[in-house]
Amino acid sequence: MEVTLKIRRSPDGASHTTETYTVDVAETATLLDALDAVKDKRDGTLAYRKSCRMAVCGSCGMRMDGGAVLACKTAMKPLVEQGHVPVISPMGNLPVIKDLVVDMEPFWAKIRAVKPFLQTEEHPDKEHLVEMPVQNANIGKEALCIMCGCCVSECNSMESDPDFLGPAALAKAQRFVGDQRESDDDRRARLKDLNGAHGIWECTRCYFCNQRCPKGVDPRDAIAKLGAQSFRFGSGSEFGAKTNMFAPVGTIVEPGVAHAQVFVDSTHRGGFLDETQLVPKTIGPLAAALDVPFALRLARAGKVPNPLHKHKAKNNDEVKRLWKLLERQAREHDQLGTNHPSLIDSHD
Amino acid sequence: MLRHDVVVVGAGLAGMRAAIEAKRAGADVAIVSKLHPTRSHSGSAEGGINAALGNASEDSPEIHTFDTVKGSDYLGDQDAIEIMCTEAPGDIYELEHMGAVFSRFADGRIAQRPFGAAGSPRTVYSADITGHVLIHVLYEQLVKYEVPVYEEFFAIDLAIDGGRCVGVLAWDIVGGGVHGISAHNTILATGGVGRMYYGTTNAYACTGDGMSMAWRAGVPLKDMEFMQFHPTTLKSNGVLITEGCRGEGGYLRNASGERFMAEAAPNAMELASRDVVARAESKEIEEGRGVDGCVLLDLTHLGAKKIHARLPGSRELAMDYAGVDPILEPIPVRPGAHYHMGGVDADVDGRTLMPGLYAAGECACVSVHGANRLGGNSLMETITFGRRAGSHAGHDAIEHRNGGLVADSAVRDVDARVRAIFARSSGQRPWQVREELATVMYDYAGIFRTQERLEHCLGTIGELRERGTSVVVDDSGDRFNTDLLSVFELESMLEMADCLVTGALARQESRGAHTRLDFRERDDERWMKHTLAWCDGGKVRLDYKPVTITRFEPMARSY
Amino acid sequence: MQDRYAYYPGCLASLSQKELDSSTRAVCAKLGVELVELESMTCCGAGDIHEAKPDYYLHLNARILGQAEALGIPTILTICNVCTLNLRQANKKLQQDGDELARVNENLAEVGAATYSGGVDVRHLLWEVSEGDGYERFKEIAVRSLEGLKVAPFYGCQILRPSKLLGFENPDQPQSLERLIEACGAEAIDYPAKVKCCGFPIVLAREDVALGMTVQPLEQARDAGADVIVTPCPLCHLSLDAWQQKAEKVAGRALNVPILHLAQLLGAAAGIREDELKFKRHVVRLSREVQDKLLRPEGAAVAGD
Repeated sequence: MEVTLKIRRSPDGASHTTETYTVDVAETATLLDALDAVKDKRDGTLAYRKSCRMAVCGSCGMRMDGGAVLACKTAMKPLVEQGHVPVISPMGNLPVIKDLVVDMEPFWAKIRAVKPFLQTEEHPDKEHLVEMPVQNANIGKEALCIMCGCCVSECNSMESDPDFLGPAALAKAQRFVGDQRESDDDRRARLKDLNGAHGIWECTRCYFCNQRCPKGVDPRDAIAKLGAQSFRFGSGSEFGAKTNMFAPVGTIVEPGVAHAQVFVDSTHRGGFLDETQLVPKTIGPLAAALDVPFALRLARAGKVPNPLHKHKAKNNDEVKRLWKLLERQAREHDQLGTNHPSLIDSHD
Repeated sequence: MLRHDVVVVGAGLAGMRAAIEAKRAGADVAIVSKLHPTRSHSGSAEGGINAALGNASEDSPEIHTFDTVKGSDYLGDQDAIEIMCTEAPGDIYELEHMGAVFSRFADGRIAQRPFGAAGSPRTVYSADITGHVLIHVLYEQLVKYEVPVYEEFFAIDLAIDGGRCVGVLAWDIVGGGVHGISAHNTILATGGVGRMYYGTTNAYACTGDGMSMAWRAGVPLKDMEFMQFHPTTLKSNGVLITEGCRGEGGYLRNASGERFMAEAAPNAMELASRDVVARAESKEIEEGRGVDGCVLLDLTHLGAKKIHARLPGSRELAMDYAGVDPILEPIPVRPGAHYHMGGVDADVDGRTLMPGLYAAGECACVSVHGANRLGGNSLMETITFGRRAGSHAGHDAIEHRNGGLVADSAVRDVDARVRAIFARSSGQRPWQVREELATVMYDYAGIFRTQERLEHCLGTIGELRERGTSVVVDDSGDRFNTDLLSVFELESMLEMADCLVTGALARQESRGAHTRLDFRERDDERWMKHTLAWCDGGKVRLDYKPVTITRFEPMARSY
Repeated sequence: MQDRYAYYPGCLASLSQKELDSSTRAVCAKLGVELVELESMTCCGAGDIHEAKPDYYLHLNARILGQAEALGIPTILTICNVCTLNLRQANKKLQQDGDELARVNENLAEVGAATYSGGVDVRHLLWEVSEGDGYERFKEIAVRSLEGLKVAPFYGCQILRPSKLLGFENPDQPQSLERLIEACGAEAIDYPAKVKCCGFPIVLAREDVALGMTVQPLEQARDAGADVIVTPCPLCHLSLDAWQQKAEKVAGRALNVPILHLAQLLGAAAGIREDELKFKRHVVRLSREVQDKLLRPEGAAVAGD
């Protein structure tokens, strides 16, 4: 069948043009097959990475119509049937070397930054005993990652802050935090780093990573697991990313953690989110008080709920009891550095 | 000046394991790889890695050794096999300690499953993505040990000085230019050469560059005629469907729905040795009992739960590339070139005949697989012999540290070759020659061979080697020029095809993966020996060397 | 579209974004849809509880779903992206995993809360009125054309992704908001950032990073000629509206893009008035011109007729 592609060409990553190519390929052809046909039969200067062609090596990440895909896993037939001409361009959030080839070094640097190797030094003679159901729940998906970069390509937080560790590195981090063989001390040390300025709490939960990942890793869920672990190991006092100068002495609070704590507390103290608490508890009471123009704007629009009239749902003591029950169960149930078995993830 | 104690060419399992061990020995080691390490073909391995742990049932290195010797159709060197099978359990535990995510039994121990031609279930696995898991755990160790990698550097030639290998000459893929990287010891771990066949499980990168470099430098290649055809590959693109599918109980059926393995291997059935299964399939297909050029791998009776738990990767591959959900329908499969038993002649410590040059993994031939490899033994080989080569090369380098340097003239020579390629004006595109090679190899030097077919193939190869010297590139730039690389890769494949077919033509017997329709029997009297292929002014010259037999007297082989 | 829903407004619509609640009620009344209040609501957990205390999140949402089921109403109507994702994700888990459902119910029963058997669906208002019977019903009540108004749709994240939990439309090329904008008689403005993140989840913990995101739809919609942005999520509304002036500092220019809740846009097209739409509760004021287009009396002539 005939396939037409528009490809963003760039000899050096600086300037670029869009070229159109039409090639003949088999009905079973993937985008990678189509690119091969273009390179072989139209223009041998076209640059892209490839190797396994079976969606396991991670080489061929690129954008199709603005969203990252693995070229070898993208069938051409449906597009041809729709008469659609896709635009092929390099992955986002990484510098372009040439055509569809991006510089992966910033990606690898972030992987290295999370210490991507088992730290445990104590080993039995034979193998560590590992509970497989727990292993699967904690790191089953994270271990699938092929480091293709599709998640990073579309990460909205990283686009805004290139220093954000990002979904791939954080999923890799969870692969170790959640590994039963790591000691609690190692786990704690890892979490401390991950609660830093460019770690867990910079994720904006846009779910682009989950959506684009070709292997079902669900990096956002991995980041959520790290968040859960951060709470388990002691929210607030242990981890300090942003020292709030004006907060009471001894309170070193990661704003993202404090933010979440307000939600949790609100539910069993009233029901709905206590918005009046949210800003001061997250960024510190003095910082909140200093942002006068912002507060005034909200007040003028009537958006500051009356702090004296907090929402109190009927039967809220049910929720209080529920909270206490679950906290008790979590303590009893607690498994080695793992997440509660009910941890929600979005796989089908 | 780029100089190290040890340079490892190739960053798959064997290469990374060697580099880690050399680093542990205290050597200054660097890897040269045309791919980022985790992109290497080792990552495509699926089914598992063999070791006599005894977790599933009674087992021992002795039984593993016997199974491997028998599987090799007695061409394997038994001392080397014994070393691998004895050291395998320790290597597995070490991988686990490094963090490998293996599948487990309910009691938490490493799980093991049945695989082809194994007397006991000894294949350690990670669902059906074992290669992926192992490549990542070794890459993690590479990061831990801070081993530098010349990433996306294509090694073109070995640098030789006074008969000793002193390093490699490599092209910087990202920026362009030839670099000499000097080393006291060089370890080749460049994998196989499946891409010279039309239907292959191999990645694009598997073009035999390391073997070719060694051959041209005067190092003999061993047992080149033995190419394993994996029984279950997809027709559309050659992708591998793991033996693990049969290990978990899958059946092979022909067009009439019969489990045809009953004839060729009444005891082992679908879990007979790969060469036995591949031959049986080819027979069904050639004799008209196939379905659209394939047989059917039927997993429907295994149930969704088992498939989701144990074979999720295979299911994804079948859906993506064959349009079939194996929970509901059988997968059409056919044999494809998969693993090359042959390679650079190396000993149990990876040493080749050339001082300063080692080889490990699929590109080497020790030989532990002889005429046919058991499923699960290749991953083991990469680890055990990668480790041994790294250890020997590392310790040797530290002790002596007197290796030479890559000469500037050598760099200039290779650079001149590159410029000459850029200057070519009339010729075919590399893909055209490659496609002709791959087709003639698949059709004439595949599973069933005859003198006629092989001679035709050899003749074509000669012609293609000629045409290969004038293929043209569209891209004569320095920046990420993969068009240029395809020329080198083509040359490697043509040379390796020549070695393979020459050896196959000469070997007048059937043994393991080498099946001669005109010499159907195994002939121990005349052919219990390894083939050596030397480079003689660019031509293949054959020689032979004995097989090491220690414990097990060669017997008839049946499953 | 159904005649009766269990109504789950969520936190913001009940507090700082009350205008969303009043508009929703008014529109549903016109559509002939009854909204039945759930007796005892909590926050759905948002991303925060989902992340920090996943088991608590599961139970909170099971409790909400159980209450709807107890009322005998098969569908919960949501008006917030985050609530929609959270409830649907919990629902899927409970519907697919019998062991989890049993465990959760045991806990709920122990504290005296209603249990859940998996019989409820969760749908956002956007889904209910943008296709099928609901779309027809809406067109019938959209008597006051918003002709001349240029509306840029802003979907936000969690009404689209992850699509295996939401699955209403193509997450890369959604069309539901555009369909409704056009049904209102207005013009839909296209721009790339309409499916990207507004930054709300981290606007307090990492304000500068969030604003780098917030500024994109604002700038792009403004440059594409939009009069207003419409969004189905009150969290997106809050960040695009209340943080707009901070985003202007990042952009280095004035933007002045009023942000409408979906229900306000629908309500305006249905002739609902300011006392229920409550545009005055926005931080970024509507200009006179835009206000006129939204609130012009029924049948009034359009300028330029």
